[in-house]
Amino acid sequence: MIRWSYGINQFKPQFDDFVRRRDHLRALRVISASGFSAVELNAGSGRWEPLGNPQQIAANFGSVAAFGAFVREQALDTVSSWFWDPSIRLQEDLTHGDDASSSSPDARAALVGHARWFSSALAELGGDVLVARPAASAAQLASLDDDVIETLAESWTAVADAIAVDGVRLALHFDFYSALRRDDGLERLLQATDARVGFAVDTAEFTIAGLDPVAFYRAHPDRVTHVHLKNAAAVDDLDEYTMPAPEFTLLRAGGSRAVPRWFTELATEPLLVDAPGFVRSLAEHDYDGWVVVESDLTPHPPTSAMLNGWEVQHVLAPLAGS
Amino acid sequence: MKWSYMDHWRSQGPHGPIDQWESRATMDRFLKQVAAVGYDAIDTFDFRWYQIMGEYGSVANYQEFVQERGLDRIVNTFHAADYDPRVYAPHIPETHANILEDFRVTMDRWSGIRLDNIIVMPATLYYDMEPVTDDKIKITAELWNKVGEITNAAGVKLTCHHEFFCGIQSRAELDTFYAATDPALVNLFVDTAQHCIASVDPIEFYEAYADRVSGFHFKDTRHQDLIGDFKRRPDSEIMSDTTAKWFYEMGDEDGLVDFENFMRAVARNGYDGYLSVEHDKANKLGGDHAESTAIAAWYAKNVLERVAAEEVAR
Repeated sequence: MIRWSYGINQFKPQFDDFVRRRDHLRALRVISASGFSAVELNAGSGRWEPLGNPQQIAANFGSVAAFGAFVREQALDTVSSWFWDPSIRLQEDLTHGDDASSSSPDARAALVGHARWFSSALAELGGDVLVARPAASAAQLASLDDDVIETLAESWTAVADAIAVDGVRLALHFDFYSALRRDDGLERLLQATDARVGFAVDTAEFTIAGLDPVAFYRAHPDRVTHVHLKNAAAVDDLDEYTMPAPEFTLLRAGGSRAVPRWFTELATEPLLVDAPGFVRSLAEHDYDGWVVVESDLTPHPPTSAMLNGWEVQHVLAPLAGS
Repeated sequence: MKWSYMDHWRSQGPHGPIDQWESRATMDRFLKQVAAVGYDAIDTFDFRWYQIMGEYGSVANYQEFVQERGLDRIVNTFHAADYDPRVYAPHIPETHANILEDFRVTMDRWSGIRLDNIIVMPATLYYDMEPVTDDKIKITAELWNKVGEITNAAGVKLTCHHEFFCGIQSRAELDTFYAATDPALVNLFVDTAQHCIASVDPIEFYEAYADRVSGFHFKDTRHQDLIGDFKRRPDSEIMSDTTAKWFYEMGDEDGLVDFENFMRAVARNGYDGYLSVEHDKANKLGGDHAESTAIAAWYAKNVLERVAAEEVAR
């Protein structure tokens, strides 16, 4: 059964945006009014990330449970999931990012500890998927030899085992400037792990990276534990994913072609992602989990949520019988 | 309970702010956003007729375009007239022939679809009608009785919407007007914010005329006009010195309208038509039409439908 959620990330384009309670209330109501039943949070750090981690949530709402009540008061059922890029520094405990490609026991313990920090709060909020960025950007992790793949596999297996205690599944989220784009890294990591380690398919990130999300899902339906559904407006066919600081130079600045928006609404031309086709394939394999619709970096968050809501209600959900 | 969305919308286009009538593509996006958040229908302005004919060929074709996006139909049209004491002013009998002919033409233009109401501001701008006397109001009422006959013949109710800056806006003026109009021909369209701004309690006013009410604009305001902004020349609505933005979506945290009790009154009186939501000029002061539309829909579904159900269950 597909459950439809929406990514909160689109509402925070800059670090000093989306900090006030009124902003959160209105964003959650827009998501609810647009027909979605849940929201996916985005990990962040510091006092200007009120929804970024359990400590900031407690600082702003009194407790994680109180935030859960706030979400339900806006007519959403739950928090579905939490996206976490382990490389972000965490001001809360003065750490500088976790490295899943490190085999050091301390690094592994830190990675697992932070994953548990998120997963235990997520479970309290009613969510059940921790969506994690599995590897650094291509520019930061130049080599993807078998040792690196094996270390990544061990790290994420440890995380998956740890968060299972909270009833939370892991979904490794490949993005189009990930080091895993090099040397068939995504497929090799999948083969190096077992069913405990789940994967997310982000339809736009796959498409921009030149991968077919439908083909990937059909090849690995039992390993896909999460979906980010969004359209793509361009393909990185210049292989600019190796650019330094790609979160800025490629994702935001658009690379040498200055692509203004990589990600677009599900029915906005050009339709590089076949959203109906992807949802049909989910239905064919009885996918049972969240589909989080995203429109990160949209210039107009309410409109994106509403247009995507229409598409889900009138086109996609009927295809999936959800 | 069915909700309709009144035609006010701005978004950002490639050449700056646009309305939804820019193209079929922008209309498609507008209608999908309105439908996505749970509205059942739309209201419009009949001055859009020219664009409709150019883009869609007929009003019926446009309505089909609306329906293809999951909305029931076009429920009401607002007849936003260019009042001018020289040629078109309800309190000036010499202009009535022009006004009656305008309505004959308008009803013919919209005859291809079923409308519930044609909505009018029944008086000119306040300063064009000053001093507002009982006699002027009665002359105005006579006109609208005649217009009501024209619209009734077309199967459409004539209904009056009292902007806070129009010549019939105080409770005394309103009572005089409705006493002088025929309930079979002239209906009332209650705009919660407009009456609130004019210091007319929307609940009391609605209760007094519930049997003549044929629709509503649910919208909020943060301000009452206590210093005579309603007479401001040349404009009160968007040029007032005191208030840069009069209207907000319902559910606004600083809003003055008591929507829950208003909704209870609507439910108590057994109103069964469409409820129209409006937030004109929502984009002023950094507001956003899409967001306001979603927030108002959320409020309608999660607050007002609940209190209406409670009231009905009593």
